[in-house]
Amino acid sequence: MDFQPTCSGSPPKPRRRLIEAGPWLLALGAVLAFAMPALAQVTPLPPDKAFRFSARAVDAQTVEARFTIADGYYLYRDKIHFALDPASGGALSTPALPAGKIKQDEFFGRVETYRGSMTVNLAVKNFSPGKTLVIRAESQGCADVGICYPPTTQTATVALPAGSVVPATDEAPKKTWFN
Amino acid sequence: MTPRLRNRLIIGAAAALALTAGIGVAVFDRTPPDATALLALSLPDASGQAQQLAQWRGKVLVVNFWATWCAPCREEMPDFIRAQTEYGGKGLQVVGIAVDNADKVQQFAHELGLNYPALIGGYGAMDLSKGLGNTLVALPFTLILDRQGKVAYTHLGQVKADKFRDIIVKLL
Repeated sequence: MDFQPTCSGSPPKPRRRLIEAGPWLLALGAVLAFAMPALAQVTPLPPDKAFRFSARAVDAQTVEARFTIADGYYLYRDKIHFALDPASGGALSTPALPAGKIKQDEFFGRVETYRGSMTVNLAVKNFSPGKTLVIRAESQGCADVGICYPPTTQTATVALPAGSVVPATDEAPKKTWFN
Repeated sequence: MTPRLRNRLIIGAAAALALTAGIGVAVFDRTPPDATALLALSLPDASGQAQQLAQWRGKVLVVNFWATWCAPCREEMPDFIRAQTEYGGKGLQVVGIAVDNADKVQQFAHELGLNYPALIGGYGAMDLSKGLGNTLVALPFTLILDRQGKVAYTHLGQVKADKFRDIIVKLL
């Protein structure tokens, strides 16, 4: 027995629907055309934004140095060095940097890297309390997207207190090359 | 024409215009950097011999800024070696500019079996690359110049081997 399809109400009209949706599809296309270059090409951060250096006084002889590392970026442990700006006078003892994440690199062998953040206390020697210190931090790192930055120097200014902890002000990072 | 239809046509026309403009911006918003200063350069190679970049005028020139301390740079160099082997006879010349010192470059070039010149740019090469479109001043950074010495392509980060090959083949 054959059954004929029955239908109540009007059949769908795909063509008309397409015509009605046309302007909105075009508008969507236009938005995408503007947005695509930005979406397709995520611009990596400049090194001073990828690796933010800051420092604060802990006590009259100690400064806490910190790198805040953006997600997707890493610093090499053996490329981090701290020094006092010569104008500050005094000296820093060589700090024992915290252990990093160990990675067996195809080219460099066993390397240690930091992600997220790295904090280390620096002992200040031969320095007059109450004066301002300028800490220079040298670092070198890369981004997971497959680019590396040359060694960069950033500075932070710290006022060492006579006794108690005083918050420090960070200077705008200054970039120089090693040579 | 009903007001509803007219409104739809206006929206459609405006959207079509925006679409055209959007594509235009997406395609034509990058002015290629000028390679005149690059081609006027003379840099020492790893053995200390001065090399004028102008000697490679008329070739499709791939200029790769790299360093031995940059792992992504080292990773992509075998692709450049292969390209030089395969297309060198057809007019391709790859040139590396190292943001590094000569000793390290010489040792690495030997280890890798580099078959193209590795010029020593030192850290000054970073500023040079900045003027050529490497606004982030990071590595690796690669430019491809056509036979007329015009910049056909710039790229920060590793160059994808198949895309690189396509560009070279078109320019050769």
